[in-house]
Amino acid sequence: MTHDLIFNLGLAFTFISVAIFIAGKLKFSSIPFLILIGMLVGPHAPDLQGISLSLVSQTESIKLLARLGVLLMLFYLGLEFSAGKLASAGTSLLKGGTVYVSLNFLRGLAFGWLFFHSWPEAFVVAGITGISSSAIITKLLLDLKRTANSETEFILGILVFEDVFLAVYLSVLSGFLAGGGNLNAAEIIPSIIIIFGFILAIITFGRRIGTMLEPRLSVKSAESFVVIIFTLLLLTAILVETIHIAEAIGALLLGLIIAETVHSKRVIQFISPMRDLFGAVFFFSFGLEIDYRLFGDAVVITLAAVVMTVVGNILTGFLASWLAGYKARRGFNVAFTVIARGEFAVIVASIAVAAGTNELLPAFAALYVLVLSFISPVLAKNSRNFYNLYVRFVNYIKKPRANSA
Amino acid sequence: MATIKEAELPGLGKKYEVTLENGDIVSVIIHDEGTREVYHFPDEEEDPLSVVTMTDMESRQLGSIIGGAFYQPKMLEKLEAAVADLHIEWIAVKEGSEVAGQSIGDMRLRKDHGIIVIAAIEGKKDSRKVRRGNTRINPGPGYIFTPGHTVVAAGTKEKMKLFEDMLKNKKDVERENEN
Repeated sequence: MTHDLIFNLGLAFTFISVAIFIAGKLKFSSIPFLILIGMLVGPHAPDLQGISLSLVSQTESIKLLARLGVLLMLFYLGLEFSAGKLASAGTSLLKGGTVYVSLNFLRGLAFGWLFFHSWPEAFVVAGITGISSSAIITKLLLDLKRTANSETEFILGILVFEDVFLAVYLSVLSGFLAGGGNLNAAEIIPSIIIIFGFILAIITFGRRIGTMLEPRLSVKSAESFVVIIFTLLLLTAILVETIHIAEAIGALLLGLIIAETVHSKRVIQFISPMRDLFGAVFFFSFGLEIDYRLFGDAVVITLAAVVMTVVGNILTGFLASWLAGYKARRGFNVAFTVIARGEFAVIVASIAVAAGTNELLPAFAALYVLVLSFISPVLAKNSRNFYNLYVRFVNYIKKPRANSA
Repeated sequence: MATIKEAELPGLGKKYEVTLENGDIVSVIIHDEGTREVYHFPDEEEDPLSVVTMTDMESRQLGSIIGGAFYQPKMLEKLEAAVADLHIEWIAVKEGSEVAGQSIGDMRLRKDHGIIVIAAIEGKKDSRKVRRGNTRINPGPGYIFTPGHTVVAAGTKEKMKLFEDMLKNKKDVERENEN
C-alpha cells in the first residue's frame, strides 16, 4: 500500500513538474497548465484507442496536500494584505478600484443569475468571474516589460484592492458554506452576519492580538519557528471550523494577524516555498476532479462568460482608469491587462463545490480559466494596437464633422 | 541633483524613478526576489527606449562601476558612498599629510577615531591608463599611509570628515581653517 501511495504521489509530482516546466518555457502562468495536465492524466482522462491515459488517481494524500495548498495560499494572502498600503495609494485608486470591483462583481452576479436562476450559484459565479488573477497579471507585466510604466502602479493597486475585496467576499461565501450545503436564505443570513462580525473584529483587533502573539513568536531556531507557524495555521483552521467558518478564512485571518507583527517577513520567507509546492498540488488536484466530458454542458456558459468578462472588463477597466486620471493610452493598457482570471476563480469554485452547489461549476471554472489564460496575454500584448485602432476610428468620425463645419 | 520618485509596487517590489537634467527618465525596479530592471524613457516618451534586466549580483557590480569604485573620474578628488549612516569614501593620501608615514596601528584609527580602513589601493596613478597597482583588502594595523595611495575607509559622516582632513596636506587644512 505504502508503495502505491508514494508511487502515485511521485507520478503526480512528475506531471506537476512537467506542467510547470512547459509553462516556464512558454513564459506562461503555470495555473492553466497544472489544471490541464491534471485533467489529462487523472481519473477522467481520455482513452486513446483502448489505452487509458489515466495514470494518477485522486488519493486522500493528494487531497490533503491540495487542502494545505489552499490554506497556505490564503495565509499568504493575509500576510501580504495591506489595508495601510491601499489607503496610502491615494483616493484615485480608491475611487477607481471601488468602481472597478463593484461593477465587475454586479455584472458577474447578474450573469450567474441569468444562467443558474439561484442566488448562491450567482454569487459564486460573480466571484469566479469578478476577481482577476494577481499571479497571472503580475507575470504578464513582467514579461511585457511594463513594470516601469506609470499605469502599472494603478494595475497593481487594483490587484491589492481585489485582494481586500476577496477577503470580504470569501467571508460571505463562508456564510453560504456554513449552511452545510443547505442553501436557503433563512439559515444563511444569520451565519453571514456572525462571520462578518467575527472578521471585522479580527481586522479591528488584529494589531492587539498581534502584539500579544509577538513576543511568543520570537524564536531563534528556524526549526521551531516554522513548526510553530504551521501548527498555528492548522489550529486556527480547526478553531474556525468549529464555529462553522471555512478553514481557508481561518488561514486568511491568521495571516492578517501575523502581518501586524515584526515576524511577518520571516513568516513570508518560510511560507512562500511551501505555498508554491502545495499550491501546485491544489491546481493539479482540481484538474484531476474535472471530467472534460462535462464540458459539453459548460461550454455555452463558459463562452458567454468569457465574452462577458472580456467586454465588461475592458469597459470597467477604462472607467476605472479614467476615474483615476489615466489618459486614453494608459487606460487601454489598464483595461486590456487586468482580464486574466486564475487562482481565485479556482479557489472559489472548489470552496463552492464543497458547499454542494451546482456540480457544473468546477468544469465551468476550469474551462473559463483555461480559455481566458490563452486570450488575456494576447489582449495585453496588443493593447497598443487596439489604441491605434481607436485613434484611427476617432479620427475617422471627427473628419466629416470638420468638413461640414 | 536629480529628482527621485519612489513608489511601492505591491507584489513586485519597489520602483525608483530618476528624472535627469535633460528630461529623460530612468526607472529602476528592484524586485522582491532580487532582480533589477532599468528602464530608459527619453524625454516625454511613453514607451521605454531600452530595458536592462540584471541579477542581484550583476546589479551590485554595475552599481559600483557607476559609483566609481573601479575607475575614479579624473576631475573628482574623492568619491563617497553613503548607506544610511555609514559613509564609505575613496580618499587619496596627499604629500605632506599628517598621517603620511604612520601606520594604522600607531594611530589607533579604529579605537580612537572610529574609522575602519577597508582597503588601500597602492601604486602610481598612470595618467593615461586605469590605475595600476595592488589593492590590499582589509590592510592590517601594520599598513603605513603612503602619499600616492588611495584609502577606502568607512565611518560616520563626522568621523569621515576628520579623517579626510588627516589625509590632506597639512598646509591646505590650515589654510581652509583660516578662511
